[in-house]
Amino acid sequence: MATINATLTVSSSDLTSNNLSLSKQMTMSKAGTSTGLELTSGLVRRTFTSTNHVDLITSGAQNYGTPTASDSGAASKVYIKNTGSDSTQYFEVGLGTSSGSGTATSDAIGGTHLAIGKLYGGDWMLIPAHLKATVGDITVQPSTAEKMTIEYMIFFE
Amino acid sequence: MATTTASLSLTSTDLFDDSLSISTSNALNKAGTTIGLDQTTGLNKIYLTATTNVDVITVPGATKDGKKSHVYISNLSMDETEYMVVSVGDKVIGRLYAGDWMWMPWNQQAQHLSDIEIAPSVATGMWVEYMIIHEGVVLTSSADS
Repeated sequence: MATINATLTVSSSDLTSNNLSLSKQMTMSKAGTSTGLELTSGLVRRTFTSTNHVDLITSGAQNYGTPTASDSGAASKVYIKNTGSDSTQYFEVGLGTSSGSGTATSDAIGGTHLAIGKLYGGDWMLIPAHLKATVGDITVQPSTAEKMTIEYMIFFE
Repeated sequence: MATTTASLSLTSTDLFDDSLSISTSNALNKAGTTIGLDQTTGLNKIYLTATTNVDVITVPGATKDGKKSHVYISNLSMDETEYMVVSVGDKVIGRLYAGDWMWMPWNQQAQHLSDIEIAPSVATGMWVEYMIIHEGVVLTSSADS
């Protein structure tokens, strides 16, 4: 086992009338245990030069752990960052099936894809991931065909 | 406008032969601008006593589609076997086990589609913390009867 610590700090002196100072640390453990996660994709860096909607992370047992048919007990985590600095350019991050074209797969309740949010230049996210085949895929769609770079890292069982 | 910063530190001394040390920090701005986000739900703390899947935030419409938000959720349980399933709409993101937290961007794309939902694994009581920093949410119309 390994010990992987992730610490989030959110701070502001003027968002509200009192200072905001949130600091939260987690140690990444295997599902239902205190045994640390010990596998990782390493820090992956990818550059995009089109606005095609694509899989950033293609899930499935053969790649990342052993997710089950019931959305899995895996306690995997995914870190993603838009390494750019342009405040107008973003990656739209989604879950499910990518279209492979410039038009993203439609979002709908009961559908095969859902965009959850946008990472503008410098933005990052850290989320749990069940990595179940197909529906656990993480998709991205760049906002521009200009060169944009993303970094991601998966921690899994 | 406000200046709000979100920072992450990822470290491990034994995941690799070499140490892992990633740190990043960014200012939370409105979509497509360098103007800081200026609204927040504040830090919410709730106690859930059923395994029912519930909306933490309901999106009643699409008028905030394209606006920018960041979401923090943490499972405050101390029992390593307890978890909660976090979803956006009907799409499961994953499980937050005891002590786990998540931080993600969020787009209020459409009614119900973008609701943030959590479902505890146990009905014996689970503390949950969450906060959204945003540039606007749609509130539902009041009704007294």
